[in-house]
Amino acid sequence: MTTVNPVEAGSTVGVDLSAPPPPSASSRERRTRIFSYALLLILAVIYLAPVLVLIFASLKSLPEFFQDPTGLPEGLETANFTEAWSLANFPNYLLNSLIYTVVATSAFVIMSVFLAFPIARGYVKGAGAILTLYVVALFLPPALIPQFQLILNLGLVNTRPGYILLFLINPIGLIILVNYIKSIPRELDESAAMDGCGYIRFVWSVLMPLIRPAIATVTVIHAIGIWNELILATVYLTSDDLYPITRGLIVFEGVYGSDWPKLAAAVLMLMAPMLVLYLFLQRYIISGLTSGAVKG
Amino acid sequence: MAATQQRNLFGGGRQLIYPWLLLLPGLGFYLLIGVGPSLATAIYSFTDATGIRNIPISWVGFDNYDEFLFQGARSRDNLDALQRTLIFMVLVTVIQFGIGLVMALLVNQKLRGRLVFRTLFFVPFILGVAVQGLMWKLFLRPGGGPMDDLFGLLGMESQFLAGTNAFYWVIVVQIWANAGFTMVIFLAGMQTIPTDLFEAAAVDGASGWQLFKNVTWPQLTPAVNTNFLLNIIGSLQAWMLFLVLTGYKKGVQVLGYVVYAEAFGQTGTATFRQGYAAAASIVLFILVLVLGMAANAFVTRRERKYL
Repeated sequence: MTTVNPVEAGSTVGVDLSAPPPPSASSRERRTRIFSYALLLILAVIYLAPVLVLIFASLKSLPEFFQDPTGLPEGLETANFTEAWSLANFPNYLLNSLIYTVVATSAFVIMSVFLAFPIARGYVKGAGAILTLYVVALFLPPALIPQFQLILNLGLVNTRPGYILLFLINPIGLIILVNYIKSIPRELDESAAMDGCGYIRFVWSVLMPLIRPAIATVTVIHAIGIWNELILATVYLTSDDLYPITRGLIVFEGVYGSDWPKLAAAVLMLMAPMLVLYLFLQRYIISGLTSGAVKG
Repeated sequence: MAATQQRNLFGGGRQLIYPWLLLLPGLGFYLLIGVGPSLATAIYSFTDATGIRNIPISWVGFDNYDEFLFQGARSRDNLDALQRTLIFMVLVTVIQFGIGLVMALLVNQKLRGRLVFRTLFFVPFILGVAVQGLMWKLFLRPGGGPMDDLFGLLGMESQFLAGTNAFYWVIVVQIWANAGFTMVIFLAGMQTIPTDLFEAAAVDGASGWQLFKNVTWPQLTPAVNTNFLLNIIGSLQAWMLFLVLTGYKKGVQVLGYVVYAEAFGQTGTATFRQGYAAAASIVLFILVLVLGMAANAFVTRRERKYL
């Protein structure tokens, strides 16, 4: 635990801290630095190894994989990707995932803004009580079983609307919006109202642009949750045509379980959109997840 | 948190109704799909509900609880699962907390490539269980997988996810997938520590370990407490990786998986025992509640000590 090295934070103020240590750095500092890098490298290997093995496998032909499942591929066997793509009904799974994610996330976010605004401002009676309902949700038992009974009795099991319905709620998302709206000055409401701006127009065209960072955060964490969902897809969807890509991947595993090159290619294709999204929206993802956690 | 009621500024008439009208869809869905079902779990736990539509449901009192906890070989399996859930919780909480803290301390230094490392450690968290699980299934493939090769080099042998230690391999994957999240919370906490505290301590000649013990650790109290609570509650409820990595197997499953498997016919019998599963779910909920409250009490005492 001697890895913490805040000394330099104090002693080298004003110096470019990302530069290598100046020759005057004490030997203790240098030792700490070397030790830190060593530890980071070990961790990096543990974190990268499964991903690299997956990438290697996806680029091998099946005989090559059986000969050497772990090492670098000899050539670049891209056929796995094209075959997995067509064999696994991938375009359809992907389309389903997109529909579920886009429809449920947009509906959820729009409804939540119209819910969060009057709660944050206290424009409705019992605003505090409603908010409490969302805060305690984090401690309630999972809704899984009665939720299934409800969707079952509505006749919506194994339908797109039934599945989308499940993703119209997200207590943490709502709490993030309420907290953010509280930081928008109330004077804005007053002057807009004075100018004759109606409620709906205010929320839609004045408030929404102002809370864009919070909306981005909530959109991203909600969308990730839907994209990654496997359990609800297993419970509520029984026909292959409706499966999102996560569930499709498990089906694919069931059929081609021993054909790891193809399976690895399929896993990578599910991963790719998330990784791209992450690299672009890192800030929103991290702020959404941590603020949610701290509130919880 | 409580908002006080304010006069609606947007005029009378329809403008008075709009806030309520437009709030209703969001709130309505929340009550219908979220809070309502959540609370109804307790009610279902006293019934013989199945997963078939239009079959009358009847009240069975405490039968489900009795059967779940005390009747026959099944209940012994359930108690095993309960015990395993606790082991899972302790191991995941302790190890993930430790690794997350070490990672945060490492990447919080002004080292080259720290952003790359940060991203690398965090990314598994957002990949979801399907990707996480399948990736590790390949990595832990018995008979020629990378880990198998490594074990071979060390003269060891394991069937990994197919063997007797499968439970512990799931723990490894669980920690690999979630430690980055613990790290991010620690990092957020570390960034709020005023640097002049370190400067002052450094001037006094404090060593790295003393700085950690006397400055970083106490100043990190909110993040420490958050991670502690989240790890406990999260690991008690986590079971999804078992679904992908091992499937429903005797001797491996934890309580959350028992709930799911009983409710949706995954125990090998294909009957949906939703009343019974609801009772199991309430048992798990009580476990989470009791341990969560105990952890919370502990954390509150710590806060008083440090803040």
